Amino acid sequence: MKYELVAGFETHVELQTKTKIFCSCTTAFGGDPNTHCCPVCIGLPGTLPKLNEKVVEYAIMAGLATDCEIAGIAKMDRKNYCYPDLPKAYQISQYDKPLCEHGHITLSNGRQIRILRIHIEEDAGKLIHNHGDTFVDYNRGGVPLIEIVTEPDFRSVDEAKEYVERLQQIMRYIGVSDCRMQEGSMRCDVNISVRPEGSEKLGTRTEIKNMNSITNIAKAMEYEYERQVDLIESGGAVVQETLRYDDATNTTSSMRSKEDAHDYRYFREPDLVTIAVPRERVEEIRQSLPELPAQKFKRYTEEFEIPEKDAEKLTKYRAIAEYFDEAAKDLKAPKTAANFILGQIFRRLETEADKEAFLVKTSAAQLNEMCKMLESGKLKNNLAKTALEKMLDSGDPVTKFVSESDMAGLDDNTLTEYCQNAINAMPNAVADYKGGKEKALMALLGNVMKQSRGRADAGAVKEKLKELIG
Amino acid sequence: MVTREDIENIALLSKLFVDEKDLDKLTEEMQKIVEFADTINKVEVKTGEFDNINNLSNVFRKDEVRESLPVEEILKNAPEQAEDHFLVRKRA
Repeated sequence: MKYELVAGFETHVELQTKTKIFCSCTTAFGGDPNTHCCPVCIGLPGTLPKLNEKVVEYAIMAGLATDCEIAGIAKMDRKNYCYPDLPKAYQISQYDKPLCEHGHITLSNGRQIRILRIHIEEDAGKLIHNHGDTFVDYNRGGVPLIEIVTEPDFRSVDEAKEYVERLQQIMRYIGVSDCRMQEGSMRCDVNISVRPEGSEKLGTRTEIKNMNSITNIAKAMEYEYERQVDLIESGGAVVQETLRYDDATNTTSSMRSKEDAHDYRYFREPDLVTIAVPRERVEEIRQSLPELPAQKFKRYTEEFEIPEKDAEKLTKYRAIAEYFDEAAKDLKAPKTAANFILGQIFRRLETEADKEAFLVKTSAAQLNEMCKMLESGKLKNNLAKTALEKMLDSGDPVTKFVSESDMAGLDDNTLTEYCQNAINAMPNAVADYKGGKEKALMALLGNVMKQSRGRADAGAVKEKLKELIG
Repeated sequence: MVTREDIENIALLSKLFVDEKDLDKLTEEMQKIVEFADTINKVEVKTGEFDNINNLSNVFRKDEVRESLPVEEILKNAPEQAEDHFLVRKRA
């Protein structure tokens, strides 16, 4: 029997605010243990939390960027559980009135992944286990998180991978998080089940935690799919439980049996008042959002007629897209700028981090200037590449490398002279051309180009050659 | 109605050890606490738009960093500490 994979994601994203969600301690990553703490975030009695306004704003931004509805009224709740990473023995989160609901992210295969909700909450401290003892560092405790929960809409590992990439892309574009999985500023839990193909009924699900890269998410999902199918095929049943992924062995193992929701004994957080979000405020935040990757992609492919594959590369990081937008400004063919970026400029950016930062010596305005000169014919196509290399090396504008005479191309006398030289030097090619071999003209063209050191215009050379050969 | 099982469950979730002989007494006390809370529920209160007594909403803080406490202060009340961390010993 064939089995279909069904999965849903719960993703925690650390918000890039300066301070924690309920106190004014810094959210800076790292730092000596327990030096980013105060009585509020270590849960001393008598302290009161006060909500960081930026957290609400960022969560609304994340909601709008994923097409969520923003709640008019939201509130905070206590989620109770006893574990040393939580000094208060409860986490302040949102239960039944989250800030954002009912959004979606569209994948490249056209399928929509529905987002059930996005809520705000506080992160827990970091535990270091050592021979059964536990060392606790509360620097991360109270760092603001949004939790993005999807419906069980994933049907393949590829969809899951793309979703995580899109989510990272969107959150980075709007600047609410750096979404670094290795540093833990983005953490995914995957709920996964299998069912016979064609069946509508959901199977029993397990939840996998502890995956710190997209590669690991994919590997864990593949492993868990196989494990569940094998279990069912051999007459067993999947047990609902939380699993930990171990990337060294590429296996999942049981962490603890799934606690029922009511075991958390959620109740209204009495120390914090209601969050009311006026509609005008939502609109204000919507206006402040940058153009999102999906919108840019649509514009590039539809208006600029850039191939989808290229548009995907251009929109991957905001810095690239913004560079391209400026470089392509007012061009007849924005594709010209795209090709230079994806070709010569990309070649100089070795790592993903380089591409993300997109630190290029040539400014977008300088590339734009060069493209405009190309379009107006002031700069010959065959000189552009060399000029751009020099621009990228030095950071100087195109005009520094292209002399007046270069820009003007060759005068007619020189052109005639070079063409005649080529004809004299390559009688065989001339004979071939006369005999009907169109291609032979290219050999002659190459010769002229060499003489002119690339300054000649290919079209003009061909015309002149034909004229001279007769 | 609070039951012995409720007390056992709450103790389990709170990681508390409750002696078998204390269960009845605790059940009774918990029942009283719940009844007291019910009394409060009976009071008729007119709330405004927001569900808190002062009818407040949107009490926010600006996102501005203030100095945290020195680690010695933070760890002052820790039952045990080691290498600037709170230390939770393995339970026997």
